[in-house]
Amino acid sequence: MDRIEILKQINAIFIDVLDNEDVVIEETTQATDVDEWDSLTHIQLVVAIEKHFKIRFTSKEIQSWNNVGEMLNCIQEKGI
Amino acid sequence: MIFELGQKFEESFIISDEIYNGFIHTFNDKNPLHTNQQFALDKGFKGVVMHGNILNGFVSYFIGECLPTKNVIIHSQEIQFKNAVYLNDELQFKSEIIGIYESVNAIEFKFDFKNKEGKTVAKGKIQIGLFK
Repeated sequence: MDRIEILKQINAIFIDVLDNEDVVIEETTQATDVDEWDSLTHIQLVVAIEKHFKIRFTSKEIQSWNNVGEMLNCIQEKGI
Repeated sequence: MIFELGQKFEESFIISDEIYNGFIHTFNDKNPLHTNQQFALDKGFKGVVMHGNILNGFVSYFIGECLPTKNVIIHSQEIQFKNAVYLNDELQFKSEIIGIYESVNAIEFKFDFKNKEGKTVAKGKIQIGLFK
């Protein structure tokens, strides 16, 4: 799957989990850029992304992300 | 990890007078479906229907008291009500772990409640977090 398509699918997950149709996620987006992206929402996002792509992250991987682009790198490294 | 995928749990619950009246006293939902025998009969039920959210209380008890750890918090819960539940019904609760997300210490369960006739009265999913 190309990177743009993964980002598109992640954006749809964010819209669903954050319950906000207006959310637009970009590679440079960080948690601090999105009002609703708090620690509990973060868990819901990770679970939803793991389910959607049928992958599993490690806690070390998650802690290493500084923005959505780094999450995308991690997803692509898992063969998506 | 103390949990494993496919792990199953079972409990049984009875909707007693104490629970039914306690729910009404606590939340003040006296809708006639739950309190007026004739109204409930007229709507095609066998008697006053128990509040569906009493079952959510049992789910809360299951997560809070029946798992092998107390280090838990409910993240989300969804429930569908399939059949009416009546006073003093005995319900069999079954749950199974359907997802383990170690990266964020989260566990997902599916569950159902069956009555004595074996009919599913409610089913749903719960996601919990585990404190470190």
